[in-house]
Amino acid sequence: MTKRIAVGATVFATCCIALAYASAFVPGGGEWGAWSMVIGLATMVVSLMVLGVARRGRGVGRLAVPLAFTFVVIVAGFGAALLLPVETVGGRLVLGLPLRAALVLYGVGLLPILVLPLAYALTFDDMTLSEADLARVRALGVEYRARQGAGAAGGEG
Amino acid sequence: MIVLPPIALLQGGTLPTLAQPTIIAVAVAYFLVVAAIGVWAARRTRSASDFFVAGQGIGLWTMAVAAMAATLSGFAFIGGPGLMYSLGMGAVFIILPIGVSGTLGAWTMAKRIRLLGEARGLITVPDAIAARFNSRLARGLAAVAMLVAIIGYMATNILALGLVIDAIFGSGLFAGLWIGMAITLAYSVSGGILAGVYTDLFQGAVMSVASVLVFLFTLKVGGGDAGFAGTILPVDAPFLAPWGKMTPLAALSFFFVFGIGSLGQPHVVHKFYMLREPRKLKWYPLIMSVAVIISLLLFIGVGLAVKSLVVRGELPPLERADDATPFFLLRFTPLLLSAVVFSGVAAAIMSTVNSFMSVGAAALTHDLPIAFGRKVTNELFWGRMSTVVISIVATVVAGASGTLVAFLGIFGWGLFASTLVPSLAIGLNWSGATRAGSVASIATGLVVTLVFETLAFLKVFTFPAGVTATALALVSSLLVFFVVSWFTRHSAAATLDDDVRFVMEV
Repeated sequence: MTKRIAVGATVFATCCIALAYASAFVPGGGEWGAWSMVIGLATMVVSLMVLGVARRGRGVGRLAVPLAFTFVVIVAGFGAALLLPVETVGGRLVLGLPLRAALVLYGVGLLPILVLPLAYALTFDDMTLSEADLARVRALGVEYRARQGAGAAGGEG
Repeated sequence: MIVLPPIALLQGGTLPTLAQPTIIAVAVAYFLVVAAIGVWAARRTRSASDFFVAGQGIGLWTMAVAAMAATLSGFAFIGGPGLMYSLGMGAVFIILPIGVSGTLGAWTMAKRIRLLGEARGLITVPDAIAARFNSRLARGLAAVAMLVAIIGYMATNILALGLVIDAIFGSGLFAGLWIGMAITLAYSVSGGILAGVYTDLFQGAVMSVASVLVFLFTLKVGGGDAGFAGTILPVDAPFLAPWGKMTPLAALSFFFVFGIGSLGQPHVVHKFYMLREPRKLKWYPLIMSVAVIISLLLFIGVGLAVKSLVVRGELPPLERADDATPFFLLRFTPLLLSAVVFSGVAAAIMSTVNSFMSVGAAALTHDLPIAFGRKVTNELFWGRMSTVVISIVATVVAGASGTLVAFLGIFGWGLFASTLVPSLAIGLNWSGATRAGSVASIATGLVVTLVFETLAFLKVFTFPAGVTATALALVSSLLVFFVVSWFTRHSAAATLDDDVRFVMEV
């Protein structure tokens, strides 16, 4: 079920991105096109992650939090850049950059690095690849090669 | 709208002449280290598996740094800062996806590719597509698309390498092309991908240190962490706007093409096969992401610093954006550091070329024959021969006109993304994807990229700002993948073998 939803979300994201590109051919389409692209990008990144994370019969478990965080960071970072006023001399600087640029660079660019790789590592043993999973893959590999040797397996179509 | 594959910005010109004893000496030392690695690797390369996937014997750190080095190429140090100087913050959108793409690639592909290698002894990207979809046609189409893209992509990199060697040694561009190709070919043919990954490790480590040092110099020259903005904003506020001098759609399009498109870059995906112990993938995203961030400090720092220096009148406006890094290094950093970076740029390009040589040779000697129902008996020998042939063809192409080579480079990047992303990033994770969907999406990516890039190159029409042939091809192939898979969904289960199904579900 989780994978099915993720595939549906990826299709939706692809359509949003296609719509964004179509907006470039329409007079005045730039603004809604950019929003369509933001929604499409955030959805595609997270839905592809869900596709990779979800195992048969299981959802994304405690990875729901970092995945939701990623979606929010992308939408909020790019959305703020679209909505906030244009930077002016003497305006607020964050770590040396105007606010909007800082939200994009430090928010979308760096914040996920503090969260996602750690989430991946901390859930790796039980949600990505356990010793038992690996042993099962190796056993299936032995079976496959045995079938190949016996000529029982079908070749590529 | 500009979308450039790594290094394409080096087209159509020469770098400032760098020929100074210190720079030449460091470059020679660099090449000697590379040669030593090649000799060492050659003694350990005894089979096709050694040649193409380092015998699945690479450690985590080596694989992660090698993947980083192959990803960045010389673009991060020459073309990237130049793009930053000319486009402002909009150029950052090329590297912005690294915040998510390292972990995204790990979740969607790293484990499954590595496990397919474990179960079946696979060694190429088309191997994985063929195993997933049980299709010789999908394998053959993927191999053809990769070969075409590799020639174009290698040509741009070899041209860039020729420019750097010419700048360091004053050899002339033609000689620089062939010298660069010959050095890379020598260690690639003898040591295969094993030489490549350890060269990547060496140059990646050196470039990470150099990037941090150069970044510190850019902060010093820029006048502290608020200095860039204080200098640039009053004169050129759009430069520091989040989209730089681009439209929002154009900048976001960079994120799409370089973020999602990165999932289809075979020279990076291919490295997942090489990891010795699959469970070591646990720390891959962290190491890879941090390594990339460190190496990209130079990209952002030099771009901002040079703009700041030009605004302050301490540097004349650059005639060519690609001069940003050479000018900054030669004028504001110690000569030894400049020498390390220049030599590192050459080494970075060589490492990328080596990766493409390996992936291309595998497609030629392994995938295409299997797609036609044949199997090459001595893959190691023919792999080496193929490496020579591909390299010579790419170098001849690189010697052609600059605009044609630039076109081929852009074409190559787009072709990888549009032909491989659906079948790999989605196909390996969704059992509802079908053989017909895979074949149709690869064919769509191939045709749309070729047609639109050619029409754009011939100036038959111009895309509006924010739209590129690469983006259209990637969107088209994704849509075709979903639509055809849906219409042929009754056949989805039939294409999955037990071991492949388990790898997809685990």
